[in-house]
Amino acid sequence: MPISSQLLRPVSFGFILLTFLLAMLFNLAPWQAALQGLTPDFIALMLVYWALHQPKRIGVGWAFSLGLLMDVADGNYLGQHALAYSVIACLTLIRQRQFAIFPFWQQALITLFLLLLAQCIMLLVRLLFGDSFPGLGYFAGAPIAAILWTPLSNLMLMHQRKPVADDL
Amino acid sequence: MHANQPAFFKQGPKPLTRLMIFSALSLALLVSDAKLHLMDALRQQLSVVIYPLQWLATTPVDKALQVGDFFQKQTELISENRRLNEERLKVSAQAMRVAALEQENAQLRALSAAAASQPVKRQLVKILYNGRDPYTARLIVDRGSDADIAAGQIVVDHQGVAGQVIRVHPLTSEVRLISDRDHLVPVMVERNQLRTIVYGMGRNLPLEVRYMPPNVDIKEGDILSTSGVDGIYPAGLPVARIVKVERQNGSAFARIYAEPLAHFEQHSYLLAINGAPAQAPYPETASAPAATNKKKH
Repeated sequence: MPISSQLLRPVSFGFILLTFLLAMLFNLAPWQAALQGLTPDFIALMLVYWALHQPKRIGVGWAFSLGLLMDVADGNYLGQHALAYSVIACLTLIRQRQFAIFPFWQQALITLFLLLLAQCIMLLVRLLFGDSFPGLGYFAGAPIAAILWTPLSNLMLMHQRKPVADDL
Repeated sequence: MHANQPAFFKQGPKPLTRLMIFSALSLALLVSDAKLHLMDALRQQLSVVIYPLQWLATTPVDKALQVGDFFQKQTELISENRRLNEERLKVSAQAMRVAALEQENAQLRALSAAAASQPVKRQLVKILYNGRDPYTARLIVDRGSDADIAAGQIVVDHQGVAGQVIRVHPLTSEVRLISDRDHLVPVMVERNQLRTIVYGMGRNLPLEVRYMPPNVDIKEGDILSTSGVDGIYPAGLPVARIVKVERQNGSAFARIYAEPLAHFEQHSYLLAINGAPAQAPYPETASAPAATNKKKH
C-alpha cells in the first residue's frame, strides 16, 4: 500500500543521512567476508528507496558520491560502484512516478532487477580489467535484498506515519 | 518565461543528463585509477573520511568479545598461565642459544666484510576486515602511513607469510594475500633446497606450484619457505605446505597444490616486517672483454 490513505510527515534530512550511515556500517561490518556475498548491498538498497521516496533530494549525484566511498572502503577500482549506483539511481528516477504507486511486492521485483543490474555493471567492469568471474554466489545478495524490501519499507515509513496532532 | 517559472518547478538537469555526466566521470575515474594509477591522492583523502565508519563497524564487536574474555573462567587462565610459563622457560633456553649463534654470526660477517643486513623493523597490525571485493583476496589493517607502514612490506603471522602491503592510506592499509590470483612467491622446498615459485589461485583456493616436471622431487607434507630470490620476500620465512601432488601420464607438468601456513582467519593480529634488503644491481655488460671491445669501436 505505497499510496497511503494517510498523509505522511515530511522526512528530515538528518534521517536520510542516518539511514545511509547505518547502511554503510552494515556494509563495512566484519562478518561480510565470512558470509561470501550473501548479504545484500545496503547502500544500493537505500539509494533505490530514497530515490523512490525523495526524488528531489536523493539523485544521481548522491549515488555517485556514495559509490566512491564504497570503492575506497572495498579497495577496488575507483568508479566501479559509482558507475553502478549512478545507473540504478537514474533508472529509478526516470520511472519514479510509476514505481511509487506500485504495491510493495512489485517494487521488490523492480529492486531485484535494479540490484542485479548494478552487480552486472560491476562484473562487466571487473571482467574488462582482467579479473575472473567470482561465481554465481556473487548474485545471492540481490534476492535477499528484494525479500527485505517490504519489511524495510514498512519500517522506514513507520517513522513518517506517526500522527502529528489531533487538534488540526 | 523562464524567469517567471515558480521555484517549485525548477529541478535542474534531468536524471538522464545527470547520469551522462556522472557515468562519464566514473568511467574517467576507472581508467585513470586502473590503467594510469593517478587517483592515489583522492583515494587517501576519502579513506580518512571513511575511517570513523570503519572503526565504528569493527570496534563494538571487538569490545563485546573482550568483555566475554574478561569473564572467562579463572581456572582456564591459571592453567594457561602455567603452560605459558613452561613455554617461556623453553623459549628462553632457545633464545640463549640463538644469542650465542647471533654473536658468532656477527663475528663471521665482520670477518667476511659482508654488507651488514638492515635491522628488521616489526610493527604489530590488527586486521580490520577482509576485503569485501569477491574478485581479490585482500585484508584491510589498522595501521597506515601514520605508523610508518610502507607499500612492499611483508605481513606475517606466527606460522607463516600472509601477504604483502600494496596500498597505504593515512590510517589504514591494504594487504594482498598470497592466495590472491596470480600472486607469486619465490620459494624453496625446505627438504631439498629445490627453488620454485608458488602461485595464488584466488580467495579460499589452494596455492599451486606450476611448471614442474612430473618426476620432480616434491612430496606431500613438504614445507615451502621463501627463497629471497625476488628481492621482495626475505629468505627463510615459511609459506605453505604441500597437500597434494598429481603426476598424470600424458601431461608435461605435475599438478602440485599447497595450503598457506598462515591462518589469519583464526586471530586478528599480524606482524608487518620490512622486505628483503636491496640487492646488488643486475650486471649490465655481459663480460669485461666484451665491454672493452665496445669501447675500442
